[in-house]
Amino acid sequence: MFLRLLFESFRRQKRRKSVALLAIALGMSIATAMIAVGNDIGDKINQELRSLGANLVITPIEDTLDVNIGGVNLKPASEGAAIPEQDLIKMKGIFWGHNIKGYAPFLSDERKIQTRSGEVNAELIGTYFAQPLHHGTEEFSTGVRSVNPWWKVEGEWPQDYGDWPAQLVPDVLAGSTLARQAGLNIGDQIQVSGRKLRISGILDTGSAEDQAIVAPLHIVQAILGQPNAVQRVSVSALTKPEDAFARKDPDKLSPSVRERWYCSPYANSIAYQLRQALPNVRVEQVRPVEQNQGKVLSRVTGLMLLLSLAALLAAALAVSAAMAATILERRQEVGLMKSLGAGNSAVASLFLTEAAFLAIAGGLIGFLAGAVLAHRIGQSIFGSAIVVHPVVLAVVLFGAVLVTFLGSAGAVRKAMQFDPAVVLRGDA
Amino acid sequence: MKRGQLLLRVLLKAAWVRKDRAFTAVVSVAVVATIATAALTIYSDLEGKLSREFRGFGANVVVTKNSGALAPGELAEVRKIVGSNGEIVPVGYAIATETTSQARIVVGGADIDKLRELNVSWSVSNTGHGSALVGARVDEAITHGSDLQLSFGKTSATIKPAGFFHSGSDDDSRVYIPLEDFVRLTGIQPNTALVRIEGKPRQIQDAVSQLGAALPGVEVKPVRQITQAQTAVVGKTRSVVLASSAAVVVLIMLCMVATFTGSVLERRKDFAVMKALGASNRTVNFLFASEAALLALAGAAAGYLLGCVIAFWIGKANFDAAILPQPMLLLPVLLGSVALALIASTAPLRLLQQIQPAGILRGE
Repeated sequence: MFLRLLFESFRRQKRRKSVALLAIALGMSIATAMIAVGNDIGDKINQELRSLGANLVITPIEDTLDVNIGGVNLKPASEGAAIPEQDLIKMKGIFWGHNIKGYAPFLSDERKIQTRSGEVNAELIGTYFAQPLHHGTEEFSTGVRSVNPWWKVEGEWPQDYGDWPAQLVPDVLAGSTLARQAGLNIGDQIQVSGRKLRISGILDTGSAEDQAIVAPLHIVQAILGQPNAVQRVSVSALTKPEDAFARKDPDKLSPSVRERWYCSPYANSIAYQLRQALPNVRVEQVRPVEQNQGKVLSRVTGLMLLLSLAALLAAALAVSAAMAATILERRQEVGLMKSLGAGNSAVASLFLTEAAFLAIAGGLIGFLAGAVLAHRIGQSIFGSAIVVHPVVLAVVLFGAVLVTFLGSAGAVRKAMQFDPAVVLRGDA
Repeated sequence: MKRGQLLLRVLLKAAWVRKDRAFTAVVSVAVVATIATAALTIYSDLEGKLSREFRGFGANVVVTKNSGALAPGELAEVRKIVGSNGEIVPVGYAIATETTSQARIVVGGADIDKLRELNVSWSVSNTGHGSALVGARVDEAITHGSDLQLSFGKTSATIKPAGFFHSGSDDDSRVYIPLEDFVRLTGIQPNTALVRIEGKPRQIQDAVSQLGAALPGVEVKPVRQITQAQTAVVGKTRSVVLASSAAVVVLIMLCMVATFTGSVLERRKDFAVMKALGASNRTVNFLFASEAALLALAGAAAGYLLGCVIAFWIGKANFDAAILPQPMLLLPVLLGSVALALIASTAPLRLLQQIQPAGILRGE
């Protein structure tokens, strides 16, 4: 009997039911989309903040002071210590190795550059552009192209080669200021310490590299006679914003607390792990980047969280209002049922079961629509999809049932308070 | 009783007799108006609020004189373009030799307080009683917390540290001393100014091109990774807020229209009684439309106020600075809500007009 009542209610009131279903589905698609976007915005904005460049820098501990004015390095490469290049791959093996998004080693010295028109002094910088590497089974490529995304090249980026055949002329980049002053163009050949180099592109960075020649690391190591040497490494790592706990000295913590510190991706704990992996290095936060990107990130995620909350609340209200409206209109039905002998609990259970069916169906439709919406937002703004976690489905269904119940319950109670005779006469 | 009075009475009575129905209609309009007001208010102020968060990155423009020192007139010009909100710190650099280790150290001369204000991200330990700021690597390699003996060729001095700082940049290998001491010791006037321009990405770009045009012989370089990140983050966040609020507003609007349409359809009996008593289609339409407009107006006004409160509160909670109400949003929100309510209530009436009153009254 109950089932039949339920079935007939859906069959005979298609319009009313579809309005309620539509309202629930719309509300739940908002919920799904906002939860998905709010949940993913942190990662997406973090990717954007990668354009700030490296947030950790590694230098040899025995190194002498940098003597650097106005972007001109006055310290000879032979002075000071070096980090062995072959050790750098160990960075990927630390606990938070997956958070190391990229690194770029640097080796530089001032050299005489022979051009067609004469000779100029300029800094020769060696680095990775997009060096293919592998750690265990993981294949990846790293270098300035990913670590310093604001470097712009007109022409071609040079290739990184491990062992350059001596008879071939390696490609290099010429800094834009240097190129202008020395009259260098794409395709020109220059000579540094007897080694021929071809300019494949003009580099514009807005900083010191504009006055330099930037070449593959192995070429510079060969020219400077320092194989396997690196002076400095810029590391781009995904980190958790620093808090009071992050600033604690790990060596003074109790083992269990230390474990927790070690297993949090703070810049400090990643730096600590890098120091353990690489002997005799100093790992320093690039403070303007590291200290602020967390703040910017938390502002953006906080904003999205609050907006999502507001949207969820609005969706809940809208769905409740829609449910209340559909039930209030059915007071005559309530009156009829009661006059035929139905108890309050029988009426309420019928209405709430209907609501539950509507909620689950609306929740499912809304979830699918919301997932599509979130996907579209991700694609059009960030160029990468926003994936909706399956857990959200459970949350959305639960929310849908809760909200429809809340919206229905008040209205059902109200409808039951009336005297059936009065309702049926149409006076209430 | 005049016609206008009667209309008013019918409208008020309609709302009063069916309080709950009127209430759900007002609530559904108010929800749309609230979320639209809040989202638009936040969106309009987002660029400014988010840009403020980039102050902590330090200088976003470096101004360097190609030869010689920056003249006071040039610095005044920079100040004029950057405005009172920005920071300008003139810096001079020289190389000194530490007398015991013979190590070469880059010494900068600047207003120390302003330099610290500009670089809020530096971690500075205020352990000394002097006036100089000593980079972490200098301290680690040479001073170990004590004073520094520096020779500048002809002159030499004992530098007493005020504090030691970590920056993660080349500055860690430098020592900063007050500008007047620097000029006295080296005879060099500052040729560089570290500048932080405050504002939205476009304002910063404009200021940079103005600086370039106003100062010939001076190189103006934006610190590109900062300006670029700011543009990207601010732009994309705005887009996300816009896209998601647009989606939310449209969806909730649909939801509201559905509720509204439903409640009008439910009143088919009222409609039929009116027509049976001799009301023309026009009169009935007018009555239903005015009722919808009245409810929508009330809902929209409440929604606008609530939306302003929500935006204000989100600003306070998230950006530590209130997002102020935008009075110019009031009219579009009110008109938009009324228009929507009219559309939502007149569409079902068309449907009803095709049916005979008697049929409706009989319950068909």
